Amino acid sequence: MKFSIYQESRVGGRRENQDRVAYCYSRDAVVMIVADGMGGHLHGEVAAQIAVQFIAEAFQREATPKLADPVRFLLDSITNAHFAILDYAEVRRLLETPRTTCVACVVQDGVAYWAHVGDSRLYLVRDGRVEMQTKDHSRVQMLVDLGRLREEAVGVHPERNKIFNCLGQMTPPKVELSRRALLRHGDTIVLCTDGFWGPLGAREIGERLASGDVMHGVPQLMDLAEARGGAERDNLSVVAMTWADEVAEAGSWISTLAMETNEKTTKLSDWGKAAGEAQSHLTDDEIERAIDEIRSAIRKHSG
Amino acid sequence: MPSQANQPLPDGYQLQSYRIMKMLSCGGFSIVYLAHDENDQPVAIKEYLPSSLALRHEGDALPSISEENLATFRYGMKCFFEEGRALARLSHPNVVRVLNFFRANETVYLVMRYERGRTLQEYIQARKGAIKENFIRRVFTLALNGLREVHANKLLHLDLKPANIYIRNDGTPVLIDFGAARQTLVQGGFKLNPMYTPGFAPPEQYKNRELLGPWSDMYSVGASMFACIAGVAPQASDLRMEKDRYVAATQLFAGRYSEQLLETIDWCLQLDHLKRPQSAMALQKVLLRERDPEIARKKSFVLNLRGALSRLARH
Repeated sequence: MKFSIYQESRVGGRRENQDRVAYCYSRDAVVMIVADGMGGHLHGEVAAQIAVQFIAEAFQREATPKLADPVRFLLDSITNAHFAILDYAEVRRLLETPRTTCVACVVQDGVAYWAHVGDSRLYLVRDGRVEMQTKDHSRVQMLVDLGRLREEAVGVHPERNKIFNCLGQMTPPKVELSRRALLRHGDTIVLCTDGFWGPLGAREIGERLASGDVMHGVPQLMDLAEARGGAERDNLSVVAMTWADEVAEAGSWISTLAMETNEKTTKLSDWGKAAGEAQSHLTDDEIERAIDEIRSAIRKHSG
Repeated sequence: MPSQANQPLPDGYQLQSYRIMKMLSCGGFSIVYLAHDENDQPVAIKEYLPSSLALRHEGDALPSISEENLATFRYGMKCFFEEGRALARLSHPNVVRVLNFFRANETVYLVMRYERGRTLQEYIQARKGAIKENFIRRVFTLALNGLREVHANKLLHLDLKPANIYIRNDGTPVLIDFGAARQTLVQGGFKLNPMYTPGFAPPEQYKNRELLGPWSDMYSVGASMFACIAGVAPQASDLRMEKDRYVAATQLFAGRYSEQLLETIDWCLQLDHLKRPQSAMALQKVLLRERDPEIARKKSFVLNLRGALSRLARH
């Protein structure tokens, strides 16, 4: 497989980031996951974390190096992530179960399969246009379906946060599965939370990612969404990958050709800092700052 | 490189407002001293001094650090800062209290309250395991209080083992050595080299570090309880992942300890992090539940039922 992939999650104007993103690939398959923990509920970030970890872990177990049945995998892993969240709440005796949306996509044999619960979205961008997208499990989407609201108004509607299907709810979530989508060279798949798609909309996302350069296009879109989101802007997160032919010329593609059959590469939300950290040189100033910080914490917490 | 022990600061050395009384312990990463503060109160001082990077010769206070090692030395200092940061925020009777942090002699020092007693490791060695059930329940219930405080601050200990559980002379435990503690529960925390003790570290500490959570410390608590009984740690979890030779505590020690305690140890030592107690409080509740065979039986029935249901749900 050849593809380029980019993921990023930003806190926006909120105090904490309840979004989680991850991708994971073996020699023959890749999975991407985005979850948006629900702020109205306690520990939304925990629900999102469990969902993302659970699905990534299932992939690591089952992609050897292919998944036996990608659709089955999506259905089972998302459903089981829901039960893992319920178990977590039960063991901790939480009064309210933490909840999260979830969208996940598997690409295998050049075919994309995805599934979602809630209002985190997947867009399939082809030739600068959104060719396919998920339909939110939200109140406002129902209004759109009934013809009472325009598609463009969804992102700013006051009730846009109300969703009726999520992981961690009382009844098992309804996991909506996509049809198979045969990928072409240059197709881009974007998984994102409402903090990203809300201020942007499908057309702009499609246009900006027309070149298939997710490494530059996605951060630009993030900047744009943040700028438009204002001070109250939500957490915003994306995983985006552009698919390439096996014969594509050299570039920033990841090629899985040389991978061992049991090898896996995984990136979860706050990964990837380790390498940079190890090389950074601690300056005298930084040492002094760290010491000051620790001393003031000691003063604050002693007594 | 020949392994060469670092020379400690000499007894009587004046280190800022502290006077060094004697060296308490010396590890590869640091040296711990007993010292007296300006009011003549005893304190424990930990000095960052990785022997592979910084060498102190007899009679010197300043260690010599080669140019090529300086960056690595400073990088390791970050770990030491992490420990300081972690402890500074914690004020709890079952967690060692940090009193001061300062820079001197081209390195850094962490000053902690001095506790009198000995480590659980020393207890285990003295008795070759076979520690009484009541002692295990009491010590770990209290230690879990400390751990709850650690987790409530979005920190993980990540190096719990009998050598890091100190038993005061009054019998109460205090968690020490947060050298591996990480701010893992929040984003943007430091990511440092793995540090763990074979036998006490959960599998996710070897790889899949993204799966670290309170349940990881629960594995270490289980392994420590196991060591209290067996006298040795269980098989290291990385080896268990390859070929699991762990024999359930319920089998190994049946009859000598209550079934419920042994079940609890096996529960903590599950390789699958989702199958362990997910929080310190969950484990604490079970340890507090005195041996009630009726409850234990019901519980395992419910667990079996739940397992069967979730298997059904998957098909």
